[in-house]
Amino acid sequence: MSLYEGAVKRPVMTSLCFLAVVIMGLFSLSKLPIDLYPDIESNTIMVMTSYAGASASDIENNITRPLENTLNSVSDLKHITSKSYENYSIITLEFEYGNDIDVKTNDVRDKLDMVTTLPDGAEKPILFKFSTDMIPVVLLSVKAKESLPALYKILDDNVVNPLARIKGVGTVSISGAPEREIHVYVNPVKLEAYNLTVESISSIIGAENRNVPGGTFDIGTQTYSLRVEGEFKDAKEMAKIVVGSKSGANIYLSDVAKIDDSVEERAQETYNNGEQGAMIVIQKQSGANSVDISDKVMKALPKLQKSLPSDVKLGIIVDTSDNIRNTIQSLADTIRDAMIFVSLVIFLFLGRWRATVIVLITIPLSLIASFIYLAATGSSLNIISLSSLSIAIGMVVDDAIVVLENVTTHIERGSEPKQAAIHGTNEVAVSVVASTLTLIAVFFPLTLVTGMTGVLFKELGWMVCIIMVISTICALTLTPMLCSQLLRLQRKQSKIFTTIYGPVEKALDKFDSTYSKMLNWAVRHRATVFLSCIVFFVASMFLGKYIGSEFFPTQDNSRIKVTYELPIGTRAEVSKALAKKINDEWVRKYPEINVISYTAGQASSDNIWASMSDNGSHIVNYNIRLSDPKDRESSLAEICDMMRKDLDQYPELKKYQVMLGGGNSVMGGQSTIDFEIYGYDFTETDKVAQDLKKELLTVNGCSEVRISRSDYQPEYQVDFDREKLALHGLNTTGAANYLRNRISGATASYYREDGDEYKIKVMYDPENRQSIEDIENILIYNAAGQGIRVKDLGKVVERSTPPNIQRKDRERVNTVTAVISGAALGDVVAESQKKIANMDIPYGINVELSGSYEDQQDSFRDLGTLAILIIILVFIVMAAQFESLTYPFIIMFSIPFALSGIILALFLTNQTLNVMSLLGGILLIGIVVKNGIVLIDYISLNRERGMSIISSVVMGGKSRLRPVVMTTLTTILGMVPMAIGTGEGSEMWSPMGISVIGGLTISTILTLILVPVLYCIFAGTGVKNTRKKLAKLNS
Amino acid sequence: MKSILITFDQAYYERIISTLEKMNCRGFSYLEQVQGRGSKTGDPHYGSHAWPSMCSAIISVVEDDKVDSILKILHEMDLETEQLGLRAFVWNIEQAI
Repeated sequence: MSLYEGAVKRPVMTSLCFLAVVIMGLFSLSKLPIDLYPDIESNTIMVMTSYAGASASDIENNITRPLENTLNSVSDLKHITSKSYENYSIITLEFEYGNDIDVKTNDVRDKLDMVTTLPDGAEKPILFKFSTDMIPVVLLSVKAKESLPALYKILDDNVVNPLARIKGVGTVSISGAPEREIHVYVNPVKLEAYNLTVESISSIIGAENRNVPGGTFDIGTQTYSLRVEGEFKDAKEMAKIVVGSKSGANIYLSDVAKIDDSVEERAQETYNNGEQGAMIVIQKQSGANSVDISDKVMKALPKLQKSLPSDVKLGIIVDTSDNIRNTIQSLADTIRDAMIFVSLVIFLFLGRWRATVIVLITIPLSLIASFIYLAATGSSLNIISLSSLSIAIGMVVDDAIVVLENVTTHIERGSEPKQAAIHGTNEVAVSVVASTLTLIAVFFPLTLVTGMTGVLFKELGWMVCIIMVISTICALTLTPMLCSQLLRLQRKQSKIFTTIYGPVEKALDKFDSTYSKMLNWAVRHRATVFLSCIVFFVASMFLGKYIGSEFFPTQDNSRIKVTYELPIGTRAEVSKALAKKINDEWVRKYPEINVISYTAGQASSDNIWASMSDNGSHIVNYNIRLSDPKDRESSLAEICDMMRKDLDQYPELKKYQVMLGGGNSVMGGQSTIDFEIYGYDFTETDKVAQDLKKELLTVNGCSEVRISRSDYQPEYQVDFDREKLALHGLNTTGAANYLRNRISGATASYYREDGDEYKIKVMYDPENRQSIEDIENILIYNAAGQGIRVKDLGKVVERSTPPNIQRKDRERVNTVTAVISGAALGDVVAESQKKIANMDIPYGINVELSGSYEDQQDSFRDLGTLAILIIILVFIVMAAQFESLTYPFIIMFSIPFALSGIILALFLTNQTLNVMSLLGGILLIGIVVKNGIVLIDYISLNRERGMSIISSVVMGGKSRLRPVVMTTLTTILGMVPMAIGTGEGSEMWSPMGISVIGGLTISTILTLILVPVLYCIFAGTGVKNTRKKLAKLNS
Repeated sequence: MKSILITFDQAYYERIISTLEKMNCRGFSYLEQVQGRGSKTGDPHYGSHAWPSMCSAIISVVEDDKVDSILKILHEMDLETEQLGLRAFVWNIEQAI
């Protein structure tokens, strides 16, 4: 018993089998997480090593290089980049996409264990499964009034720690909330007068602020313990500490110092919508699910809010999951619309509701079944998996339509529905399987692509393959079963039906006859048709010159991040004033802004996360959220461009960066070209970078150019004279510590209050550390108690050093980044390469291109190879099916016209060529070829039945016109919601929809004319050749 | 005793079997896959790409008096759905064991 016979004879089993699949699919669907992309985020691991007291170049030589050399041998490593700062080194390992981050973490840990050459003082390298470059998942704003001074502690205990415990969260960091600190500001003049030092005061404070247990002793029958509780109950108590005596009188701390119970001196300040507060940044680990994390964070917020003092209010600045959810929702909407369109087309062409229902039922079945695959592979509902559904909708019905049509023919001939279903399916089974194989030949190679595009296409390939296989199984089992149960011979249609459907029927008949007339003309004017098609193809290729290329379409997620730098060394007050000015200006100018939050000033050195991202008294960061794309007129890119223009008005800004989408995301952000300047010498690479920047600014389309290496940090260095130090019995470290204790402060002790510890720092009061003279006058005491001034021991000189050293793939690098806006990536690259060629670049310095351009080139190359592979595979499948090499060749002629169609459509809609539109192009190979197969199959069938070439072509064309137009229309209309969608994220997939629609329309129209014409030409030659052979044999 | 050879489009199978049963003809031989084409009209039944439909054949040996009524029913069946194709041929049985 064959598959379909079994299905028809056992309707209960068949329907229940499919019901089981649907139930499993729906169950899987309920478990599927939501994400923007399949696991696409570049797998990055960060290795941080600290080595206190070393300068950036020491760090580079002693820490970064040995680590880099060892880590370089970890497999699947794409790039290894490093930043060497003062005191610490950060190495970022970027892996090829699609690797398991946990496995890689272990590999890296193994390699780190092999490093034995690190200096003694260096700490053990720490591994982090994320990169600071990653966009934060959630940004929370904190507003506070009375609690502002203690905000850091409150947030750290009540918000940060609970949030950091959520699974998948990489880090939670606070910016803008200064930590409480108790300062003891001493007056150097008074100290000198009383012969006191910062060190002695700090050791006295340390000694006073202690609880000391005194052991136990017995009184009578009881044992008591003895304790001295010296710890300060109030910071004010410190004023009464006796720090020395002069001529018999006590000197109290308040005599020589001012006690200031406040917050740390150097702190970042954060303003949310103009009000001061703090910002909590939540980043995720590599590979974790954003929506999941953000859901948990949002769930935890009300509870956390309750644990906070009443004046502290948590709010949301950015929740990336909003965008993801909206994007997925709007994609789900397009799938719904596509289903409606497809149903309408099928009903229009079939004209019978029973037949329409039988065909349509395959759509939800195949789509729902594919969710099982998603759940089994641990994937998610994302743009790619949902796009696959959208692509597949138009195609899954094809097989069912073929089966249904043949069964209907049998019924019309007089068979019983049951018999008709079995025999009708039997007749077309082979060709149904073959056409599915053609599509699988297109989609299966997609699963083999590697690299970033690979991660995207792998899922698409598998999804469509699986959906197609299920739809074929459906067409061979469920469809015949339903046909046998539902279809009846209808000799006469009801009156209502005829009045409604009659005109449609007439129009379709008219369409058939017009087409057959056209085809009749075309096959008799073969040369004209063939040549004009070629002319059309060549002409359309010329249009291709006007189409720009980019990597991924820029996505509008309503987020902007702006960072700008004033000249290095600018005081925090100046930066803050400017930040406020620009903030107010933007709020006034752009009503689209929903939330604007900015942070200015230097992060404390204790806050390692904040200090690792760019900060400083001269740096200001903005996080902006705009209203939803549908509620505003200007696009995200336009607003970014306007903001760049605004920032150009401030000449005091050294450099600025307007990041569309809120960060350097792999996709969806604006395209950038990175020019990496490799070279060891700082001055030379700096000069090349400066020249390049100047040149790039003249290139049309570069909206923003920035250099990665920061300006040299001006600093004062004290050059001690070693002989003089030795003469006074001092050494460099000892002397340097004296300087440090007076300027940065000596941590004397910890003040304890309610279980929390706050630093007590003793240092010079701010008025006495404002000039070089203040430094020069610092007294350094030797072991003999003599005070010697710094100016007597050495010189204070001004120098500048690079604040950090960046390396990539084990070479020093300086990157010039150009952000592209309003021009195609390819054009800008071409023009800038010309400029670079004309530049005078010193020997030993390399300029290399990377950034989106590198990714684009890689992906386009991959896709090109893929297209060739697919064409070969499709050819093989077709040749096997037809047992001929000529027929597949004829059918292949429709592919170039798909390309013409894509170019025309992109040109008319003013879109660029990007990965998504190329993907559309690749899909077309399969869909376009399918039409050709249907046509050629029927024409050759007619010939086998003994018709002449021309009449079999014309008859075949006429009889296959409706199936071809119908399947094409289902695919095109299935894509229309994608192409014209205006929902969030639609800019991602609309290029694909547009290219499929354009390519399919043009190629189908031409296939319907050109393929029959070519068939005539080839078949004609074939017949002539056979005749010649016969003639030879006969003679 | 006469033998009836019925060749028919596969779709007739169930109807023919039930007719034979109704007529109390127990014995028959069934050939499932039979290729052929009619002498005057009808599509060939080759099971090929060009002519995908197939025939089956049934040979039934029946009492002489049943032949006419069976042929009548079969003829009616054929007239009802002419496009499918059904033919029956009768000849004598000389001997049987």
